[in-house]
Amino acid sequence: MNFLKKILTKSGKFFEEGKPLSWAFPIWEATDTIFFSTEKQTDSGPHIRDNMDIKRTMFFVVIALIPCYLFGAYNIGYLHSAATGVSSSVVSDFILGMSYVTPILITTFVAGAICELSFAVIRKHEVNEGFLVTCALIPLTMPPDIPLWQLFIGTCFGIIIGKEIFGGVGTNVFNPALTARAFMYFAFPTKISGDKVWAVGPDGYSGATALSIPANPVEYDTATNLFSQATQFDFSTSNLFWGLIPGSIGETNKLLILLGAIFLIYCGIASWRIMVSSVLGLVMTAGLFNLLADHSTNAMLTITPLQHILIGSFLFGTVFMASEPVTSTHTNKGRWIYGFMIGALTVIIRSVNPAYPEGVMLAILIMNMFAPLIDYYIVKSNINMRLSRNA
Amino acid sequence: MLKIKVKKGHNINIAGVASREISAPQKNDSVSLSPENFRYIKPKLLVKENDVVKLGDPIFFDKLCPEVKWPAIASGKISKIVYGERRSIKEIIFSVDTSLESEHSSSQQKKISNRDDVVNYLLEKNMWPFITQRPFNKVANPSDNPKSIIVSLANTAPLSVDYNFTLLSNKDTIVSALANLKKLTEGKLFVAVNPGEFDYLSDLDFVDVIQVEGPHPAGNVGVVLNHISPINSKDVVWTVQGHHLPILGKLFSDGVFDPCITINLSGPAVNDPSYFKSRIGASLESYCKGNVSSDQVRIISGDVLTGKQSSIDGYLGFYHSSISVIEESFDRSFIGWFHPGGSSRYSVFNAYLGSNKSPYKFTTLQNGSHRAFVPIGAWEKVFPMNIYINALLRSIEANDFEEMEQLGIYECDEEDVALCSFVCPSKTDVGGIIRKGLDTIYFDK
Repeated sequence: MNFLKKILTKSGKFFEEGKPLSWAFPIWEATDTIFFSTEKQTDSGPHIRDNMDIKRTMFFVVIALIPCYLFGAYNIGYLHSAATGVSSSVVSDFILGMSYVTPILITTFVAGAICELSFAVIRKHEVNEGFLVTCALIPLTMPPDIPLWQLFIGTCFGIIIGKEIFGGVGTNVFNPALTARAFMYFAFPTKISGDKVWAVGPDGYSGATALSIPANPVEYDTATNLFSQATQFDFSTSNLFWGLIPGSIGETNKLLILLGAIFLIYCGIASWRIMVSSVLGLVMTAGLFNLLADHSTNAMLTITPLQHILIGSFLFGTVFMASEPVTSTHTNKGRWIYGFMIGALTVIIRSVNPAYPEGVMLAILIMNMFAPLIDYYIVKSNINMRLSRNA
Repeated sequence: MLKIKVKKGHNINIAGVASREISAPQKNDSVSLSPENFRYIKPKLLVKENDVVKLGDPIFFDKLCPEVKWPAIASGKISKIVYGERRSIKEIIFSVDTSLESEHSSSQQKKISNRDDVVNYLLEKNMWPFITQRPFNKVANPSDNPKSIIVSLANTAPLSVDYNFTLLSNKDTIVSALANLKKLTEGKLFVAVNPGEFDYLSDLDFVDVIQVEGPHPAGNVGVVLNHISPINSKDVVWTVQGHHLPILGKLFSDGVFDPCITINLSGPAVNDPSYFKSRIGASLESYCKGNVSSDQVRIISGDVLTGKQSSIDGYLGFYHSSISVIEESFDRSFIGWFHPGGSSRYSVFNAYLGSNKSPYKFTTLQNGSHRAFVPIGAWEKVFPMNIYINALLRSIEANDFEEMEQLGIYECDEEDVALCSFVCPSKTDVGGIIRKGLDTIYFDK
């Protein structure tokens, strides 16, 4: 260890102000502090500081995502064996899945690191570990056989347009991971929407996701009946929860997402207010639609609140994307409104528009846009309280 | 009696709390009065080096407010005047002559009956600098008419002196000080106390006792005021440090300036943390020498959150009543962000297993590099005021005067947000930004 420490300390001299490599100081600083925690001293202000830092904060979010990766890989293999009809073991399913997930993961991190590091150098800001979370999130929102060049472009778009042009972490408006996904969704729709991409199988294999079943029913029926009639996959409530169904890599197993949520809330990193309120918003809107369902032939209106929670990537989006601290609202009151609206918009986009069966991505991006406005009015009410006191 | 329960905040479990006993007195051969302890003043000296002065004699005055003069905090020779850049006065050092000090006789007592009497008496005795004001946390302006006066006897800051211990025998002087302070305002005189302490105050009809309960910063005057009587944009509230009450009390009742205070020496790097009878501006050397655990320590005048970095040759700040010592650590732990936890870590987040259990030996490590701010709600956990701190900081960074005022900058001071900097994962200096905002507003006026 001391050897490594010496190398890093010595190499640091080349990156100091006025030295030839000073332009790369943010990269050196980020690398150096990955290996050894910084020896930076408190100057003024509090002479003592908490041990929590941004590195650990972001690392914790990545930890919360690891189970989703592991299950996602297994699920790819499991669905592949189901499609081919060849029986296989858990291990071989997992290995097959990893052969899909690993290249996706590497591509995303390479693209993300290139963007983040070059912007850190050009814009002379610190390398913020937040990009690790962005890069860890993007693969989980992808179908298993997304072309890697599309992924590379999408990740660069997400980080540059979603974050860096606004000034980097802390000043971005849109969630960079979702910006990447939305970009790919509209730029390369054939590879990230429809029935053919969500499960890996033989050529031409098609597997409808749970969401597309009530969205495109052969004959009108309630969602519950449509799910039970589906033969290709088991869309029973329990299996929707356990997640052996087609979908994006990381969103299918709801238990692991809930465990991730509990972990992040316990550590004080993610906002429970956003998570709770978005579930509330979803349940109330879905309940309202259920009441209206009798007057319509839209089977989407018959999806029960519980089914809404379990199908699609609502939970994944709520726990890992909506609660992203920078792009969500910054006030606690605002977090309630913001989350509630995400839940409500998810159901609205899912149910009453014919184009996109999944609504959570757009719901979060729309609310990202409105988050500053919500905060503005909440802060304004505090200002008004103070003004009335002055009067 | 009004009761306030503060929920947000955090009592830092720091090692080295001073034991409740007064150690043998230390020699205070030299003391220092530093104009740098007072904000926004332009000091002009009234003495020269080698002058012999008596306790309470005027030493310098503020060119911006010439009636306010600063007292000699010791009798004896002015051994040195330390100048800084552009001949700013950094420190005025007195060598204490105890025989000269014991000479003073109580002067003829004037009758003090109204506000003007109190103001004139304090100005005449050069004792005005004991009275500070909010907003801006500076020496009060005698011509202002304060909305109220507040004194906090509930010291919640980590390692700060426990007033219920140090001021236990000063009942008479405290009552005398409070009685005269009340004359300074047409508003109320608030005194914040911890539950069950200073019971006798509730019998005084001129005092509004506020009982505060909860973690730091519950006892800060800013926080208490925010709960009971917030400072509006044109308001001025005056305040006096709790440990200065006996000094003012003696001055009012006997006409004598007695600069003695009880201080504590504490912190994880102190061998034997305890209380001492000391005096304003005391030299730190006599307390710290031989009582700190290593050579690599940071000696702080004041508490660990808001104190000022000093050195073994330094002196206690004018308003400070504690000396804190922490170790200077340059330890770089291997992949520190991956550390599981245990007794070597401390965090208000549940981010380390089994941390925070035993008193923690804090060091000067910042525990992380500075990063762009990510609002995970850390500040809000420890900031118990009805202020959107995040929005306020942004308005300061944007230099938006109007919004700073509207978001309540007058209500806070660095000490109220010190815990925000302590917990901030991005290592933002929240107090520094608040100070920057207050400074810009002050100099603009």
